[in-house]
Amino acid sequence: MNYRRIPLLTCLLFMLALPAGSRAATPTPDAEPDSMSRSMERIDQVTVTARRTPNRVTSGVAVQTISGETLSKLGVQNMADAVRRFAGANVKDYGGVGGLKTVSVRNMGASHTGVSYDGAPVSNCQGGQIDIGRFSLDNVSMLSLAIGQDENLLQPAKLYASAAVLNIMTNTPHFRDGHNSAFRFQVKGGSFGYVSPTLRWWQRIGDNVRTSLDGTFLRADGNYPFTLVNGKYVTKERRNNSAIDSWHGEANLYYTLPDRSELQLKGYYFYSKRGLPGSVTLYNPVSTETLWDKNGFVQLKYKKSFSPRWELQAIGKYNYSWNKDQELGPEFAGGIYRDYHTQQEYYLSATGLYRPSSYLTFALAQDGVINTLNSTIYECPYPRRYTSLTAFTARWQKGVVRATGSLVNTYITERVKFGDRPKDVSRLSPSLSVNVQPWSREMLFIRAMYKNTFRTPTFNDLYYDRLGSRVLRPEKANEYDLGVTWSKALFPWMDYFSVTVDGYYNTVTDKLVAFPTTYAWKMANYGKVRITGLDVTLATSVSFPHDINLTLSAAYTLQRAIDVTDPTSKSYKHQLPYTPRHSGNVGATVETPWVTVGYSIVGVGERYCLSQNIPVNRIDGYAEHTLTLSRELSFRNFGLTLRGELINITDKHYEVIKYYPMPGRSWRLTAAVSF
Amino acid sequence: MKFNKFIGFLCVAAFGVAAVSCSDDDPKWNDEGSKVDLPDSRVYILNEGTMAQNNAGIEFYNPSGVNDIISDIFYRQNSMSLGDVGQSMIEYNGYIYVSVYGSNYLSKLNSACVEEVRALFSDDADLRGGIRYIDAEDGYIYASFYGGVVAKIDARTLEVKAKLNTGGSNLEGVAIEGDNLYVANSYTKALDPETGKNKYIYHTDVFVIDLKSFSLKETLVVAQNPNQLVEEDGKVFLISWNYSAESYELQLINPAANNAVTKLGYATNMAVGDDILYIVDSRTDYSVRPYVTTNTFSSYDIRRGQMISISFLKDAPAELSTASVYMMAVDDKTGEIYIGTTNYSASNGDIYRFKRDGSFVEKFDCGGQNPKAAVFLH
Repeated sequence: MNYRRIPLLTCLLFMLALPAGSRAATPTPDAEPDSMSRSMERIDQVTVTARRTPNRVTSGVAVQTISGETLSKLGVQNMADAVRRFAGANVKDYGGVGGLKTVSVRNMGASHTGVSYDGAPVSNCQGGQIDIGRFSLDNVSMLSLAIGQDENLLQPAKLYASAAVLNIMTNTPHFRDGHNSAFRFQVKGGSFGYVSPTLRWWQRIGDNVRTSLDGTFLRADGNYPFTLVNGKYVTKERRNNSAIDSWHGEANLYYTLPDRSELQLKGYYFYSKRGLPGSVTLYNPVSTETLWDKNGFVQLKYKKSFSPRWELQAIGKYNYSWNKDQELGPEFAGGIYRDYHTQQEYYLSATGLYRPSSYLTFALAQDGVINTLNSTIYECPYPRRYTSLTAFTARWQKGVVRATGSLVNTYITERVKFGDRPKDVSRLSPSLSVNVQPWSREMLFIRAMYKNTFRTPTFNDLYYDRLGSRVLRPEKANEYDLGVTWSKALFPWMDYFSVTVDGYYNTVTDKLVAFPTTYAWKMANYGKVRITGLDVTLATSVSFPHDINLTLSAAYTLQRAIDVTDPTSKSYKHQLPYTPRHSGNVGATVETPWVTVGYSIVGVGERYCLSQNIPVNRIDGYAEHTLTLSRELSFRNFGLTLRGELINITDKHYEVIKYYPMPGRSWRLTAAVSF
Repeated sequence: MKFNKFIGFLCVAAFGVAAVSCSDDDPKWNDEGSKVDLPDSRVYILNEGTMAQNNAGIEFYNPSGVNDIISDIFYRQNSMSLGDVGQSMIEYNGYIYVSVYGSNYLSKLNSACVEEVRALFSDDADLRGGIRYIDAEDGYIYASFYGGVVAKIDARTLEVKAKLNTGGSNLEGVAIEGDNLYVANSYTKALDPETGKNKYIYHTDVFVIDLKSFSLKETLVVAQNPNQLVEEDGKVFLISWNYSAESYELQLINPAANNAVTKLGYATNMAVGDDILYIVDSRTDYSVRPYVTTNTFSSYDIRRGQMISISFLKDAPAELSTASVYMMAVDDKTGEIYIGTTNYSASNGDIYRFKRDGSFVEKFDCGGQNPKAAVFLH
């Protein structure tokens, strides 16, 4: 054997020990020799292209991952559909391709969830919450949800400051031996007028430069049928005004400098025009609202390892987002009403990592952000927000203990063109996580975490006409987590079996809510929420003869999230709206040389649509089943991937948000040619 | 016919008429199709609900019973929801008329809340803005709409007989006095060409519509953003949601004096009965956290033309002084006062019931969110 190949081989062996692209990628270093040797026999011609999935079992905090490949195999439809498979994630989905989709983790509220796209934070200073529905799954290589403080120390300070972070990583170019370019053309078609062609071009230029160009168009009528139950009357209806046209384009340049440092330049553009059907209104089908969105950003990321002790990451980003909201009706002057909003963000971040010894690591991250808003909302004072975030982190890892502590300092000052400006915000937010592996030969870990975060009032909270208040304080959140993780290959033919169990307790205080007053609702710090819960995940992968592999994963969340604001209130200690007591999902893929079969079930228990837990506010639970069949074919000059998905097989008519019905049974076909 | 015989005949006839009219077999109310037995005295409370939740409803309350309540009698009787945003409810000729803004229809219910007929407006481009408030006269329902139109609707069939474009924009409260219909023209949401911003343009109009010709007769100038209108003793009272004033403004329109408009003071909600205008003025203190709203109850003696600053409530529960008052209504027959408070979308509202003399009777859950209107059948 050529000894220069040993590192590569080791890497390949390690990757094969992982479930390829599995969401539950748990390496089993102490796997049985038999399975290892079997693997060794198969790897000669393998080219590893999948990103190494972070290890959730060894993590000090709850980190869940799902790879792009798994998403495909399970027939996951969109980003919201993917994220709802994470334990503890509560996705609000207003239905259809164009419906708003936000994620709240362990019920702290969507504004407490940070979203990062290829390592750089995504923000929405106006509304706070990120619409994850706009991100396409087609180019995603890996999704992860870190609850608490992510293990990765080399990241921007802004991500340290979030209660939870949804991390979206896109594919990076890779090439077959002897090739300098790769193309992929994919067409998806499905129910309700859904058509989405995607074109991808990867190019290698010399030894150190790779580029990628992606373009996706999507259109859908979205006029799916649904069943409306109104007392004894059950009628078949259709969503109307829910058509969408959208474009998404992305260009990347990856440059490896002579000193082995890495530079990534990304340009991103998104456009959509979508009808907003709104909630189903009994007896009145009129819906006339349309939303246009444009979002573009340029992001530059630089990463360098000076030595085994020193590393540096720097990110610069400019983001522009614009939207137009239009509604028609005689109640508006001239029969039409339009609102325009433009946000800009200038973002700089630098993180340095230093390892003074083998068991101690320090990281210091500094971000500087400028956010602006221009809007047609009356009395919009053109706010300009300056944010400085500094995160200092120390990690101790020796013997069976790994402890990570961080301290984030946030300073925010705001300028407005007229009126009072809000008070500056200056806060320190600590976090601490400890991970113990009691027995070195057992992949059993006990972890504990505390994190203190807050969310700043959004521009809407502060300045929205009549609703806004400029004297708001941040909304605070405290997270506590205690968990056990374990992984083992129980049988020779089992690649791994892993389980994680996390119990948690969160509080959210000084909640930013619209508070009723004489005139109208006005934003105020009012409200306290107490959340206790349990997240359980299971994953296993089993190899059978004839190259047949079975992968199973499951997640379950038990949650009690109650309003403890006012003991005299009729909703005191009632479960928060849209918070099921029980929710979970199961996914299975069977890979055979002939076809890959994926089957998944997402189940959500009954919930309440309003704060008071009375029968009239109750929403039924649901279970959605999805079946996927896929086949990859290799020809001399190209590869062909075919996939068919049957979504919501049982044609279950359900709602995530009351009166926003979700589609019933539907299908989707995908064909992709790669060369 | 001799006189004595004539008297005797009259007595017999009178007795007969009385006997017929008092017969147990002759129902006092038209309860046809009712699934529940209801007492003669009934209070119906319209719950507006929360927008986009389709949770408007009507609560039945028995004023002479104990805990005799049906949370949503509309649903019970008709096996369907009332819809989205219960806006206005009146009693007319023994029937109940309900306008539902979000669902944009008008419903005619019998005295047991069983729906007899409804008129949907979403297909009518003139009326698509949504129905708001209603009043009735001479066999017609008059309804205001967002978009500036007043519709004249046959009270029996709910057929739209005529539409009048007032030239206003979003019409709110209505009141009828004599042959005149008074309609509040509240605001327009429009682009301000100077600033390029969308703003609320508050109007200062109350339209006076001649009911005989169903045409615009006069436009009165009132405080900005006129909203609620009520009539009693030949006087019309108006509350304008004037955000630039210290509180909402209360004005008197006097039809007998060429619709002269005079300011009475400040009020955020009102109701009339027994020649009295009952008033509440709710004011919020934004300097404390959380904001605190304080209610001041007072009244206006309509016949004497005098404001009475002392509260018309005697022993109201303490929490009523800071609750969010959403409705006031007076039972015409008993003079009892019903005050509805809201917890908005957080939970169901409450009704506080008082006797005519202001003494507290009881408090009960209104069966839904945002109690908006009440009608009383005896």
